[in-house]
Amino acid sequence: MDDAALGALREEQARLKSRLQELQKQRGALGDPARDQVPFGVPAIPLVFRGHTQQGQEAPKCLVSKVRICYPLPGGSALITFDDPNVAERVLQRKEHEIRVEECRLRVQVQALELPVVTSIQVSTQVSRQSVLVSGFPAGLQLSEEELLDKLEIFFGKTRNGGGDVETRELLRGGVVLGFAKDAVAQYLCQVGDFTVPLGSQKFPLRVSPYLSGAIQKAEIEVRPVPRSVLVLNIPDVLDGPELQDILEIHFQKPSRGGGEVESLRVVPPGQRGLAVFTATSG
Amino acid sequence: MPHRLCQPGAPPCNFKVILLSQIARKGVGKIQRLIDEIAKENTQLKEEIQRLEAELQEATRNSQIKEDIPETKVKFTSLENPENDSQFLNISCSFQVSSQVLYELQKGQGLITFEKEEVAQNIIRMGKHHVQINDVDVEVLAQPVPLNSGIRFQVLEEYSKVKINVTEIPDVLPEDQMRDKLELSFSKSINGGGEVLCVQYDKKSRSAVITFVETGVADKILKKKDFPLYINQNCYRVTVSPYTETHLKHFQVFLGISERTVLLTGMEDLQMTDEELLQDLVNIHFQRETNGGGEVEVVKCSLGQPCIAYFEEERNRMI
Repeated sequence: MDDAALGALREEQARLKSRLQELQKQRGALGDPARDQVPFGVPAIPLVFRGHTQQGQEAPKCLVSKVRICYPLPGGSALITFDDPNVAERVLQRKEHEIRVEECRLRVQVQALELPVVTSIQVSTQVSRQSVLVSGFPAGLQLSEEELLDKLEIFFGKTRNGGGDVETRELLRGGVVLGFAKDAVAQYLCQVGDFTVPLGSQKFPLRVSPYLSGAIQKAEIEVRPVPRSVLVLNIPDVLDGPELQDILEIHFQKPSRGGGEVESLRVVPPGQRGLAVFTATSG
Repeated sequence: MPHRLCQPGAPPCNFKVILLSQIARKGVGKIQRLIDEIAKENTQLKEEIQRLEAELQEATRNSQIKEDIPETKVKFTSLENPENDSQFLNISCSFQVSSQVLYELQKGQGLITFEKEEVAQNIIRMGKHHVQINDVDVEVLAQPVPLNSGIRFQVLEEYSKVKINVTEIPDVLPEDQMRDKLELSFSKSINGGGEVLCVQYDKKSRSAVITFVETGVADKILKKKDFPLYINQNCYRVTVSPYTETHLKHFQVFLGISERTVLLTGMEDLQMTDEELLQDLVNIHFQRETNGGGEVEVVKCSLGQPCIAYFEEERNRMI
């Protein structure tokens, strides 16, 4: 009877030990969360202090850059940017404008240009189960993005290297993210950690570590008007491009018509499509 | 001493049996001790397993980051040709977000940025520097700047010019019929509608996505917050809102490292309040090659209030 009890306990211990080993392996692959530092494999970005300081504790937590908004313009439309936002406002007070062309009149519509802007964002992060971060690339590597991604996919796609089918690949600053079809491949590669990978004529030691991925949970968007720009729509198809441009410019520059100094005027001829690109103003 | 079982008058005893039973009792005791020991080990193993499971769960759980995006003023730059339909049917907005990396300068600390990385590294290697400040020899220590890690990612937001979200749809008809009613109501130009390309209706959530054929219809409808939906003799006001898709790309954690800026400490006990004067003196000292220095770009010292110093990305650097 006691023998049976002893046997059962010994079996249980064997199971517990194997479970413990499995968990320890998983934890090893993650790096030490108890440490204050970031786990190994985080790319470093060189930064410099240029003299910008702020007294007190109010620091904005994030920087926004490379803002680019593309607004589609249909055929028979134009985008006018005035020097003075008040002129734009005045022009917009009338929904329809009559443009005199010799004896005829062209009826066009004007509309405010409104752009959707992200005002707040919520991102959730999680250690990815199928993706890994490859880092440790030497400086001055003479490979294009495509070449580098190809070579990494070739190496880490081979089971004899410990890899497997690569589903996604992305180049980041100082590292490449590879996503695998099988979780087990990603886990194994993280456990091994160090690999010597051929990149071109030479081999380099690279590091594979877990990848913290992000996904958007919520994004709040507000539509805001562009103060100095105005959309002209439904321009009748009676004039050629350059002529039309001149006629519109003349009309919208006349103060008597409510216009003013035009900074830029671009026309999308009927039957064509345009994409107006807006970027951040400096300062 | 004879065993009590072997006392005169006691039943005849079998000494072998007694001995065996004594051995058996000792054996049982031994097994019991073993059982207890293993049971104890197992309990400890279970505790460690629980601890590791909790730790792993912590490490892999979702963590949320909420950021307010500061407003950026934009202006018209150029007119291009849309490459595909998707570019023409959406207003797309893309931008990069990255954590602000900063260092909180305490009293008696300074930051000095050199033009050349080698000079900065040399100053750090030298460690202690003796700087003359107002006829006092101050021992200033040069160290690398400890910087926080941050995240950066790109956001792509697409705001549809042909689709709208419709919500608060009354659940009064079977799915197919409701889809038709939605199409009919949203086609009526008299109400601001236009030709409908397709309707995606989800009865459970009482919502739908309506795609129009022409751009411009969605804009008109969205000027108001609701729209009339006609079902038989009744008119219901359903809520309309823009249809947007937001994507995240190139998400990464990064560690800021400072290669040209050095942290200076050891100036807490200075009996002076003129930060600019101190900065000038530090600048002059570290410009001199004889002091191990070189061209200085910027110096900032704090003599009183802690001050936040912003670190920016190096321009013209490639990784």
